[in-house]
Order: sequence, then C-alpha cells, then structure tokens
Amino acid sequence: MSTPLLSVSNLSTSFFTSRGEVKAVRGVSFELRAGEILGIVGESGSGKSITCMSLMGLLRSSGRVIDGSALFEGRDLLTLDEDELSALRGNDISMIFQDPMTSLNPTLTVGEQVIETILRHRKVTRAAARARAIELFELVRIPSAAKRLRSYPHEFSGGMRQRVMIAIALACDPKLLIADEPTTALDVTIQRQILALLKELQGRLGMAVILITHDLGVIAETADRVLVMYGGMVMEEGPVRELFARPSHPYTRGLLASIPDLRDDTHHRLTPIPGSPPDMLRPPKGCPFAPRCAHAMAQCNAALPPLYDAGPVHRARCWLHHPQAPRVAGITAELVPA
Amino acid sequence: MTDRMTDQTVAIEIAPEMWVPATRDGAAAEYIAAPSLTFWQDVRKRLWANKPAMLGLGFIILLVLAAIFGPMLSRHTYFEQDLKLSNVPPLFQTYAVTDSAGATTRFFFNSGNLNLYEVTPSGEVAGLLRPAKKDLIKKQQQFKFGDREVVLDTAKQQLSFADGAALAPGGWQWNMSNLLGTDQLGRDVLARQLYGARISLTVAFVATLVNFFIGVFYGGLAGYLGGKADTIMMRIVEVISTIPLTLYVILIMVVFNSGFLSVVLAIGSVYWVDMARIVRGQILTLKQQDYVAAARTMGASTPRILVRHLLPNSVGPILVTLTMLIPSAIFIESFMSFIGLGVTPPEASWGTLTSEAVETLRAYPYQLFFPAAAISLTMFAFNFLGDGLRDALDPRLRT
Amino acid sequence: MTAYVVQRLLLMLVTLFAIITLTFFLMHAVPGGPFTSEKMLQPEIQAALNAKYHLDDPLWLQYLNYLRGVLSLDLGPSFKYAGMSVNEIIAEGLPVTMKTGALALICVVALGVPLGIVAALNRNRWPDTLVMVIATIGVAVPSYVIATVALYVFALRLGWVPTFGLDDWRGYFLPVFALSGFWISFIARLARSSLLETLQQDYMMTAKAKGLKRGTVLFKHGLRNSLIPVVTVLGPVVANLLTGSFVIEQIFALPGIGRHFVLSITNRDYTAIMGITIFYAAVLMVMIFIVDMLYLVLDPRIKYRADAK
Ligand SMILES: Nc1ncnc2c1ncn2[C@@H]1O[C@H](COP(=O)(O)OP(=O)(O)OP(=O)(O)O)[C@@H](O)[C@H]1O
Ligand code: SF4
Ligand SMILES: [Mg+2]
Repeated sequence: MSTPLLSVSNLSTSFFTSRGEVKAVRGVSFELRAGEILGIVGESGSGKSITCMSLMGLLRSSGRVIDGSALFEGRDLLTLDEDELSALRGNDISMIFQDPMTSLNPTLTVGEQVIETILRHRKVTRAAARARAIELFELVRIPSAAKRLRSYPHEFSGGMRQRVMIAIALACDPKLLIADEPTTALDVTIQRQILALLKELQGRLGMAVILITHDLGVIAETADRVLVMYGGMVMEEGPVRELFARPSHPYTRGLLASIPDLRDDTHHRLTPIPGSPPDMLRPPKGCPFAPRCAHAMAQCNAALPPLYDAGPVHRARCWLHHPQAPRVAGITAELVPA
Repeated sequence: MTDRMTDQTVAIEIAPEMWVPATRDGAAAEYIAAPSLTFWQDVRKRLWANKPAMLGLGFIILLVLAAIFGPMLSRHTYFEQDLKLSNVPPLFQTYAVTDSAGATTRFFFNSGNLNLYEVTPSGEVAGLLRPAKKDLIKKQQQFKFGDREVVLDTAKQQLSFADGAALAPGGWQWNMSNLLGTDQLGRDVLARQLYGARISLTVAFVATLVNFFIGVFYGGLAGYLGGKADTIMMRIVEVISTIPLTLYVILIMVVFNSGFLSVVLAIGSVYWVDMARIVRGQILTLKQQDYVAAARTMGASTPRILVRHLLPNSVGPILVTLTMLIPSAIFIESFMSFIGLGVTPPEASWGTLTSEAVETLRAYPYQLFFPAAAISLTMFAFNFLGDGLRDALDPRLRT
Repeated sequence: MTAYVVQRLLLMLVTLFAIITLTFFLMHAVPGGPFTSEKMLQPEIQAALNAKYHLDDPLWLQYLNYLRGVLSLDLGPSFKYAGMSVNEIIAEGLPVTMKTGALALICVVALGVPLGIVAALNRNRWPDTLVMVIATIGVAVPSYVIATVALYVFALRLGWVPTFGLDDWRGYFLPVFALSGFWISFIARLARSSLLETLQQDYMMTAKAKGLKRGTVLFKHGLRNSLIPVVTVLGPVVANLLTGSFVIEQIFALPGIGRHFVLSITNRDYTAIMGITIFYAAVLMVMIFIVDMLYLVLDPRIKYRADAK
C-alpha cells in the first residue's frame, strides 16, 4: 500500500469560550491518497469545517487543537509553526470557502488577489505572475481573462467569484484542495457548473480533494470515498458506492432516507432528521446520535460506540455492530457475524 | 490502522440488559438542552450580566431619584443668596481660641477670600467674623475673642496670637450647613447641584423624547409611503445630516433667547435624523416580510400593523439610539450653558454650574469638582448602559 | 466615477444653499428683526445698514441681495463693530482657529487610529484594556471639563504651559489636547471595533489560507477595509472640532473665530453670527467633499454603486 498524502489520526479540537469548552472535533481519523476525492458530509455543526481549519492552522483564537496528528508528506501539520504553515498554505494545500460573495477582498482587484498568491509562493516577476493569473482565469473559464483581472469582486456574479476563488486556490498547483461547501451559496445551475469544473480540474491536475458538503447528491457524483460526521466524530466511513449501497449507521440511513430519490436532481438538500444535534458544550457520554436514533439501546447511552468494521474498507461507529447486539434489517442484516 | 485494531478489541462482553431499547426519558436526561429563552429574556440576561451597564443603570436611577426628591429634602433653595457666606468650602481646618472667661470660639480661615468664619460645635457655619482692626499697609487684620487677640497676616496667610505665637489648627471639619459648600454668591452648592441635575436631566429627557417622536414620525412616514416620497424625504435627511447641527442649536437659541424651553426646543428639533433613518430602515425591511402581508390580507388596519408588528421589531435599535441621545443632549445643553446660551440665572444646570466654577477656578479650584464629576459620571453611566444595551441586543457585535 | 463626484458636488451645493437660506431666515425671525437692537443705534450706522441691506425692501429681495453678497464672498459689515466687516473678523480669527484645528485633526488621526489598531490586535490583553479605559474616559468627560482641569493643573499649578494665548509654542498643547481628546478616543474606539469586525471577515480567512504573511494579511487586507468607517466620520469630526473651538477658545482666551462667534452671540451681532455660521458651513462642506473623494479612493464599490444609479 502506498503511503497516503495525508493521514489524520485522532484529531481533537476545542473552543475555549466564556461558557466553557466546546468540543467541536473529537478524535477524527482518516487517510487521503494522492489524487483522491474525499467527501465529508454531515449536518450543520458536526465539525466538518473545524476539522479542515485545524489541519490548515486557521482556527480562530479561541480554538485549539488539543490532540492528534496530521501527517502531510511526512510532516505533521499540527506541529508546524506559523511560518512553515503559511508557506504550505495556498501552495501545497489550498482552500475554497462557502460564500464567494464574502471571501474575496472587496477593495482589491481580483487580479491582484490571484497575483499576490503567486508572488508569495513562487520566485517570479510580477509580469510572469500576471501571465499565470490570465492562464488560471482561462483555466477556470472566466471570459476575457486579461481584462477581468482589473475588475473588483463586486463586478462579478457569485458563480464567477467562485471561479476566481478556484483560480486562487489552483495558483500554485496544490497537492491538496480543500473545498468547504463550495456550491452551497450558489444557484442550482451554477452549482452544477462549478462542481463539474472542480471535478474536471481535479482529473486534469491530479490533486487530492476534500469536498465538504451537506449534499449527499454532490458526494455521489463527485467523491471517491465518504466520511459521515456527527457530533464532532466520524460516524461512518467508506467508498462512495459501498456506503450508498450498504449504509451501516442509523444516522447515514437517516440522511439517505431524507432524499426522496437520488436520481431526482431537484431535492439533494437534506431534510433534517427529527431532533437536533448535540450541544458540543456538554456532549453526551454515550453515542451522540442516541437522542435521535430509532434503534437506541441502553448501551448507547452508557458508552460511546467504537468504530466497527462493516466491510473490508467500510467502518461504522454504532453499537449495533457489536457481535452480541440485536440484528437490525438494513444496517446489520447482511453483516456476516464476526 | 492501529486505531481500527484497538476498536475491534473493544468487542468486550456486554450485559444482555444493555441491548434493550433505550427509554426516551433516559436519553432525554442524558442530553441536557440549554434552556431556550425568548429574545427579550435573553437580552435581559445578557444585560444583567454586563457589570458596567448595570452600574450605569443603577447610577442613572439614583440620579433621577436625587433630581426629583433632592431639592425637596434640601434645607436650602438653589437661588437663595447669602453674600456674607460666599465661597465657603465643604471641608475646612478649624482653629479654636479660648478667652480667659472660658468661652471658646471655633472658626476657620478661607484662604480664597481671606475671611474667618465662626463654626458651631456641630460643624455649622455660624457666620463671618469681622476684624476689630484692619491694617492695610502691613496686610494684617486683628480679631478679638473676648480678651484675646488674634492677628491674621493676609499676605502670609498665617494666624498668630498677639504675642506672636502661631495658632495651631485643630482637626478637619465637614461643613454641616452647606455639605458641598457655597458658590460665589453664597448659594448652597448641593442644592444647586441637585437642581442642576433636575434641569439637565429634564432637558435631556424631554429633548430626546421630542427627537424620538419627530424621528419615528418622519422615518415611519417615509418608510411607509415608500417610492418617490421616501426618496425625497431621505434626500432631505441627507442634507440635514451634513449640516453642523450644533450651529443650528446655537442659532435657534439666539432666535428664541436663552431659557429652559428654548433649550429643549432647540435640541429637540435637531437631532432626530438618526432615529428617522433607523425607523425607516426597519419599516422597509419589515414591510417585505410575510407576516405583515399576512396581517394585511387578514384585514388589519395600518395603525394596527404599525403598532403590533413594525414597532416591536424596531425597539432594539431605537432603544440604543435613545440611550445614546440622552447623554448627547446633556452634553449639548451644558455646552450651550457654558457659552452663555443655556438656562438663565439663577436657574442652574450642570453647564452653568461648570462655567460658574470656571470663573472662580483660580481661587476655588475645588468648586469645579462637583459639576464636572456629576456630568462626567452621568456620561459614563449612559455610555456604559448604551454599550451594554447594544451588546445585549446584538451579541454578534460583542467585542 | 464622474457620476459620483457630480452627485457629491451637487449635494454639497444644495446643502450650502439650504444652510444660507435657513440661517438668513432664522436670523430674520429674531423678534423685531436682526437689525433692531435693544440699544439705540447711532443714526448714521442705522442709515448705513439700511443702505447696505436695503432694509426697507421686502424680505425676499433682502434675501436675494444677501445671497448675491455671499456668492461674491462678501459677508457684509459687522453690526456691532463699526467699520469692520464680517470678512475681516473671520480673517482675523482664521489663523488661530486653523492652526489649533489642523493640529487637533492631525492628533485625532495620528493617535486615534494607531491606538485603535493596537487595542484590536491585543484584544482583551492589557494594551487593549488601557486604550479602552482611556478612550471611555475621553468620550465621557466633556471637552470643557478636560480643558479646565488641564488648565488648572498644567498651567496654574505646574506652570508648564502658559494659561492663555499662543505666543509661546507650548501654548498649543492644552487647547489642542482639549479639542482633540474626545475625537481621539472616539476614533480609537471606532478603529478598534472596525478592525475587529474586519478581522472576522471571510476574506481575511482567505488571505490567510493563501499563505500570505501575517503583515500582508493585516495591512494589505485588514487595515484598508477597516479604515473605511473611520474616514466616513472624518467629516463630522471636522465639524465638531470647529464647534468645539467655541468653548476651547473661550477657556484659553484664544482670539480665533470661535471666540468671535461666541462674542457676537453675546453681543447679538446678527450679521456676524450669520456670516460666521455660513463660513463654518462652507468649510465643513469642503471637508466633507474631500472626505467623500478619499472614500472613493479607499472603497471601489462606491464608484460602482453611484454609476449604477
Ligand atoms: N469560534 C467558535 N467558538 C465556539 N464554538 C465554535 C466556534 N466555531 C465553531 N464552533 C463549534 O464547533 C462545532 C463545529 O463547527 P463546524 O463549523 O465545523 O461545523 P460544520 O460541520 O462545518 O457546519 P456547517 O455545515 O454549518 O458549516 C459547532 O458545534 C460550533 O458550535
Ligand atoms: S450506537 Fe445506538 S444510538 Fe448510536 S447510532 Fe448506533 S444504535 Fe443508534
Ligand atoms: Mg462549515
């Protein structure tokens, strides 16, 4: 097995607020191979963004990584100092955010915002950086690229701004691109264009991608592997086909069940499972999903379930996978007892 | 990889009763939700937790009570003069002289006007002591206490007996007849201070109220009418807000002459622009919201919609603007009084009190303390309360 | 861009016109009219005034005449100082007021903004607390209190600076300090909260995520955006420095326009009151126009919005 590009283990991040410690991420582990697209899905507040921000060293001041490691090409991202990290950001690892309307600086031309990234990481002249910026704009299909470099963000539509963000992210040929809900704020038709563009560029440039989304439909179309997060933890993990064919966690099943038909493009949004996610100030000591889970057992409230194998490359964090647990159709029925 | 191995080893024995369906109660008990508060309960909680704001509020309440009841309880009035007892300090060092008959006289020396004042045993100022003889050339005054004689050297500001032995001062004594002393016309500073608070606060509250009504009316009308009328009305507001308003308060004061009513009118008619903007903005946003349309289709009348739906939603920003307007009004009033355009003597406001104190700054610097402290503390109080309110209403802004 | 400049210029002219009109009619609303004094005037002055202002003319004609005078930069004769024109009064006081005002404005920007930045960058640590405590005092204590206390302590007790006048360069300290104290505090608070808000913006996260150096993130991306609200209030700041000079010039006995203005109020010198008000307003309008242009440079969105209209 080749060594993965990124190997995260037991990542835990908390926010220390006036109300107490918010345990936003609790022991997340995953691996990412070069050129792979990993989807992370989960309801709002499940810790998807904070997981990625922790890797990038971009937590706001009250947030701290309290445990874990994240090996990227043999270096632990979590122990790098600010200088080393900033040399990596936008260069080897870059990031796209959810809202293109607010993630570009309104008082600088978009060209400048691309060029400054190139100049930060490459020893090239300004003219060369400009040429590269034009090339990038053409790559992300912004029409009349050379002219548009001089425009300000407010002169672009949301979709075009997201293309600018992608151009910035790709400026230095990153090995890993983190896209945090890159299409959530966009119109449906624009969403598809941006996703298609991302997927195409990924194929062309061969970088690895972490794609965060609420939308299982997006995952199904784009990702190779999926991480389902809930309450700051990985609830289920596996290849897309496998996970969609045999969801092995009640939460994942809930997510899937809330989509009427995967082939019907209009309703990819999650309709929420009844109840709300746990308060991360006081996370339950057992399974975080227990208050909302139809299968919850006494054991679920008593202790946190470990990650069980649900297949060769498929894992799920649910007591139902314990050998002594009652079998539940659809989740553990097909499971061969250990 | 190691992670997964350890996970699998957790396949420990688990008691069979643990596999029964969880009771919902158990689950609910495990998951303690934060109590959900209504918006205003939340605001009150946050405001309550904000110490400077609560301190400010407490101070304001005390101040209002003092302004209402203080003048009633005071022994003195704000206008009654006693030129013989002018510029008496609140605190002084007493001297005592006993004559051979055993009669003791206590008195203190006012270095500002070089007078001696007799003091009763309880600390009240009994009156001015008249010198028996004045020697203007040697700058000496002689005072007789029965058969004893005390010489006041006004140049050296020293007191001595006739034989040259210096008088030793006794202890410090608080002025019991005028707790904060008297001003240059011998009026009681405390009474004037309380009365000044009454005037300053009344001007501020009434002027703010006038601004409030004009602003709500103007902004409400603009927002409600919308379209062309709104555009024109807001252009006018834009023009007004570029005008230096203090100048206009001054001009209005010049036209109406000084006095309490003109101050209220001048301040009240000028600072409503922010209020108008806020109200209009709120009304415009709320007009587009579904529940207003719903109320309308259900046949609610316009005033009813305004009162039931629009205003409650604008209360927050309006409240903040009001708490910020009150100290500005206090400040403008005192500013006007300071340059001689405020209330007319003998009426007092914190502004006139300050400017009177400035006149005697060289001789009696302490007289500046009370009006300056009163106005500054009040400013603090309103500022803290306003900041606190804003934070409580919009926690996102808390910095 | 042109649309924006024209729009601002127009607003400035309209406002100035409104001010002249308002001032004129306010002063003519004084019971008995602006030129009938409590004291009897010498007949020849009365005649001169009558001649100058055509006082027997209907009000609208007087108004048009005054407007014409203002347009040709002639604010008319002083009503109380025989032989002196309002222009001369202003010319006499202008250098003093300009010097203290300009110094105060420089202090406001040069001290207020850095203090705010230091506070924001050290949020909830001691420099922040210190700046905020001082700034809170600065906005709560009225300028005339600061002025008199400073006068008493530094001039009367310590004798470090003269008690009045500007003949000695040290004479500038207290007036400028008293004049700018409130606005330094105000700008410090504003700059702090504005920078804190800017630091929370998504594009700051983008700038960091691009790997930009900390200084670039802060100065290139943060500061410029956070200064926009600060620039917006500079117009009102100038207005308030001007009106603030009324008391400050009185306390420190400075022969500036503010002192003349207060004097003309006390003397009921209506032409002077009118003229100085209009002069102030004109200065202010020009300052606001400059600020608007500055705004244009700082925020490209303005130009776009104005052109879109
Ligand atoms: N600055 C912060 N201070 C305190 N808690 C925070 C902060 N930022 C995030 N959190 C907490 O961390 C948890 C995870 O947040 P995160 O942003 O990772 O969620 P997410 O899965 O990305 O959700 P979304 O889909 O809404 O983006 C949330 O419960 C949130 O309350
Ligand atoms: S562990 Fe229990 S509560 Fe949690 S998902 Fe599995 S069955 Fe539901
Ligand atoms: Mg997120």
